[in-house]
Amino acid sequence: MHHSSLLLDSQNWFNTLPLASLEVGQHLFWQIGGLKVHGQVLITSWVVIGLLVLVSVLATRNVERVPSGLQNLMEYALEFVRDLTKNQIGEKEYRPWVPFVGTLFLFIFISNWSGALFPWKLISLPEGELAAPTNDINTTVALALCTSLAYFYAGFRKKGLGYFRKYIEPTPVLLPIAILEDFTKPLSLSFRLFGNILADELVVAVLVLLVPLIVPLPVMLLGLFTSGIQALVFATLAGAYIHEALEGHGDEEEAH
Amino acid sequence: MFDFDGTLPLMMIQFLLLVAVLNAVFFRPLTQAMDERDGFIRTNNTDARERLAKAKQLTLQYEQELAGTRKQSQQVIAEAQTVAQKIAQDQITEVRQQVQAEVMQAQAQLESEKQSAFGELQKQVDTLSRQILDKLLGATLAS
Repeated sequence: MHHSSLLLDSQNWFNTLPLASLEVGQHLFWQIGGLKVHGQVLITSWVVIGLLVLVSVLATRNVERVPSGLQNLMEYALEFVRDLTKNQIGEKEYRPWVPFVGTLFLFIFISNWSGALFPWKLISLPEGELAAPTNDINTTVALALCTSLAYFYAGFRKKGLGYFRKYIEPTPVLLPIAILEDFTKPLSLSFRLFGNILADELVVAVLVLLVPLIVPLPVMLLGLFTSGIQALVFATLAGAYIHEALEGHGDEEEAH
Repeated sequence: MFDFDGTLPLMMIQFLLLVAVLNAVFFRPLTQAMDERDGFIRTNNTDARERLAKAKQLTLQYEQELAGTRKQSQQVIAEAQTVAQKIAQDQITEVRQQVQAEVMQAQAQLESEKQSAFGELQKQVDTLSRQILDKLLGATLAS
């Protein structure tokens, strides 16, 4: 909280400059039922989702044996996420998890890059500003919780209640750590992504404030790189967690 | 910055919906297409490999047949040459014998003609010698 107030202070100071402005922690609030939601995050996420669905529909509208154009591109993407999932989960059980891990990767990747490449700031909102959906903690926590749900679902479907054996499997001494892991996994997943994307956008914004021309470009390129890496890391870790839930300690010892 | 609110569950729901939608319009059809293509390529590959093996076997068979035929033809040629040589030899021998026989016959005829000619000459010698004697002696006798 101390940090955010500091940033808010600095924002007030920066607002006196005419060139650019920096906003953190300001949201376009919508009221849905009894819930307050961040409108700007939902809008950009809808754009990202719409883009993904549109491209997918266009790519698979007319599937050919010899792919061309969009189909080729999407097959490349599919092969990429399929290899990623296969590397993490293993040849035997990766197939049902390709959609989940693949969608995680594509959604995060397109979100990050949309934040870096699309000039959202040209569309002005009454409050807050449009940016990558992944620079809001709600989005990253939502994705991380989905990952947690996914690996619990994977473990329970494979082993039923025997899934709990993995908590005490090598030795019951590690039980607290094993339980703690279930909390640290989504925490680290969400904060890693959130921190990277927000920090990247802040750095770019601050540099643009200080030197509006040329100088922010290398940082922007670095931001693109980081965005891709973060999407890859998130999807890879999700795959690894699912693999862990599927395998468990007991199975691994049997296999070796 | 860390203000959680209704965005979180909404985002979760729409992400899970996105997974379902993308599974239907992207992952399933494209995976199916790629698997079908894999199958198609594999079948074609196997077919081609089989055909190649068959072609190789046929080539081998043809080569063997060719070698056999070549050997056979050489044999036939050799046989024909032997037969031709033999025929030629036979004919030469026959002709030689015939010629010899003709020569012998001609010689014999010559000999007999010589004999008869000698006989004739002898007769003429006798006549002539009597005539000469007659002439010589007749004159003497007459004188």
